[in-house]
Amino acid sequence: MNIQFSKEQLVLRDELRAYFAELMTPELSAECERDMGEGGGPLWREALYQMGRDGWIGVGWPESWGGRGLSPLEQFIFVEEVMRAGYPFPFLTTESVGPVLAEHGNAWIRAELVPKILRGELLIAIGYSEPGAGTDLASLRTSAVRDGDDWVINGQKMWTSLAHFCDYTWLAVRTDPDAPKKHRGISMFLVPHSDPGWSCTPVHTLGGVRTNATYYDNVRVSQDHLVGELNGGWKLITGQLNRERLSLINFGPVSQLFNQVTRWARTTELPAGGKVVDQPWVQQNLARCRALIECMKLIVYKQSWAMTVGQLEMADASAAKVYGSESFIEIYRMLGEVVGQAGLLRAGPGQPCPEAGRIERLYRTASIITFGGGANEIQRDIISAAGLWMPRASR
Amino acid sequence: MDFGFDEQQQEVRALARRILSEQVDARRLAAYDEYRQPRFDAALWQQLCGAGLVGVAAAQRHGGMGLGFTELALLVEEVGRSIAPLPVIAHCTAALAIQQFAADSLQEALLPAANTGKLLLSAALAEPRNEDPARPLAVRAQRDGDALVLSGSKRAVAFAAEADRILLAARVGDDVALVALDPRAPGVALSALQTTSFEPQCDIQLERVRVPAADVVCPSRGEDAMNWLAQRVTAAICAHQLGAADCAMRMAASYTSERRQFGVPVATFQAVGHRMADCYIDIECLRLTTYQAVSLLDSQQCALTEVQIAKIWAGDTGHRVSYATQHVHGGTGIDRDYPLWRYCLWLRHNEMTLGCSAAQVAALGQRLAVGEGLFS
Ligand SMILES: Cc1cc2nc3c(=O)[nH]c(=O)nc-3n(C[C@H](O)[C@H](O)[C@H](O)COP(=O)(O)OP(=O)(O)OC[C@H]3O[C@@H](n4cnc5c(N)ncnc54)[C@H](O)[C@@H]3O)c2cc1C
Repeated sequence: MNIQFSKEQLVLRDELRAYFAELMTPELSAECERDMGEGGGPLWREALYQMGRDGWIGVGWPESWGGRGLSPLEQFIFVEEVMRAGYPFPFLTTESVGPVLAEHGNAWIRAELVPKILRGELLIAIGYSEPGAGTDLASLRTSAVRDGDDWVINGQKMWTSLAHFCDYTWLAVRTDPDAPKKHRGISMFLVPHSDPGWSCTPVHTLGGVRTNATYYDNVRVSQDHLVGELNGGWKLITGQLNRERLSLINFGPVSQLFNQVTRWARTTELPAGGKVVDQPWVQQNLARCRALIECMKLIVYKQSWAMTVGQLEMADASAAKVYGSESFIEIYRMLGEVVGQAGLLRAGPGQPCPEAGRIERLYRTASIITFGGGANEIQRDIISAAGLWMPRASR
Repeated sequence: MDFGFDEQQQEVRALARRILSEQVDARRLAAYDEYRQPRFDAALWQQLCGAGLVGVAAAQRHGGMGLGFTELALLVEEVGRSIAPLPVIAHCTAALAIQQFAADSLQEALLPAANTGKLLLSAALAEPRNEDPARPLAVRAQRDGDALVLSGSKRAVAFAAEADRILLAARVGDDVALVALDPRAPGVALSALQTTSFEPQCDIQLERVRVPAADVVCPSRGEDAMNWLAQRVTAAICAHQLGAADCAMRMAASYTSERRQFGVPVATFQAVGHRMADCYIDIECLRLTTYQAVSLLDSQQCALTEVQIAKIWAGDTGHRVSYATQHVHGGTGIDRDYPLWRYCLWLRHNEMTLGCSAAQVAALGQRLAVGEGLFS
């Protein structure tokens, strides 16, 4: 038991912190802010190419996948630092779909697409959800039908985030409508957005984040674009979702926000005398947040360690997702109470406190990961079944 | 970074679990219910001493195993899992403090006997309405040559009547002295308390009690030693809470998997499964924060923030797991013929001992307000 990074890992962290301090120019920060923390702008793209050229994107990937061959812990340090720097890193492409493609993709995917991911040149959206298929993902209806050597895809996806600037969608489709179990008739395709049958319309959300409805009207792809086995898509989906779950919970940005709000409370005067932090309830909120974030840190460290030694437990991954997503909401609430009225002001002119401006947005986006990435009810089902061996009702 | 336990640590845990699961069960625990006798299984204590577990963290020169605080915490977690009637926390942490702070002669007088079970140690950590172990207000001492003469009172001292020496801090002018009090010395009066957990505890009254120089652990600056000790006792309580909460949770998981209502196991109701999942998450948080604190203390690093955070989780987790497990058991959970109820007593005991969650939150908040304890 030793919950500390090695000397080399701390050196890596410091190197990355310095690297991002330089990479995140004021212009790039402003562009990311304008894009509501989603990225996609020209400076954002250039920075991603840069990270690719500098060999950071696959720092913890095995060398056989084209990575640098360090462990998932180093990959984790990289992602924590890039997020901490305020760069909207396309982690769904690099951390969750990318590794699945490197592991299960055919020769063409591994030779053509995976290296592009590592160079920061290829972005992939995730197309699972449909208007009628959310938590019950296996009920999806978008279909792929064989036509000669090609596949023809028809249907509609919902909430296809980042699709408006991605190159491909990692698309779940039904390839066997007669499969005895609905999970068994699903396959995974990589669909290029350059196809004339592909289109997308925006969906705007509470947090200002744009997502999309995407449409597939006789989209035609070759057999090369099928990933893994025909009708074997469900395994890839759950594998990807496990990875996604881990990358949803970052403690870097929230620990930094905590430090900033605490500093603000210590230095900001109350008109009647004393500092904001002198109020007992403020101290209490800060201490409660400190305890929640500490645990988040330990949970994500443990996950990365478990991945490194190959001992990732299903119940623990689900516990991390539930704990992280619900703690974020509590933390943003309590820190929002500390900054008070400023927490109701958007970042920008008139907002006296940049952290408060961030909290104003964060409280609007915090709900997404309690139902996204596998609803927390499903995660709790997994915990009681896999962690406590409790029987559960059939669905 | 390593969240696992090494081979030696796993062996300590396995040995403790084997002995305690063989020697502790509901029937034997029932012998101590309602204060029928002091909750101290002397035969089991001797067995644990014989197996080397009581001295697991003690130096080899004193007959200990020479392992670390992590190994002791693993033992304590098992004591919590079995809620064994043993003074492991009180005795082993006091022994570590003596080993760390006392003169060689006092160490030699006490520790070899402590590790073989011939001598029992404890510590007085609280005074009436004063839960800061390092700031004694109610016990004052006067110097008499190199000896000290103590008067005043300490509150709720675990195993005071059974102990041969009790670590006890006294105010000497502006200074704090720490002594190893013989509770049978003239002028010491013990009054037994009826605690919720049935743990034997006494209030101690001191009337001009003379402590010879040989029994003075720290003639001066005893608050450092008491803080050092208090952090370790607190971390140990967290480990005890972890074992007890984990056992209560697993009891509830198996009970609800068997118990049927509406024709199905009650575990299959999502509301029940989810309440247990929340216990699982709480307990994982307690485990992570506890062993982080323990591993820092093991390597003699500053761990104040980490200990405070672990104790916040010990309080919150204990409270929530206690009521969740009672609830999903229905009436059985509080039936004294079923083993859960005693766990609920201990979850409460650990929650409230050495700083409840609210007190720890306040203490951590005060430190944050002066710029301590931020993230690096
Ligand atoms: C901003 C945003 C971005 C997204 N990005 C993507 C993306 O890139 N790609 C993609 O494919 N999808 C994406 N999604 C979709 C997301 O994955 C879904 O919202 C999620 O799967 C939940 O589906 P739903 O919205 O249809 O809710 P529903 O499935 O209708 O569920 C609503 C609620 O019902 C309850 N519920 C459902 N099933 C159960 C059950 N078995 N037990 C107990 N309670 C249950 C839960 O409380 C759940 O939250 C995104 C969504 C948002 C809002």
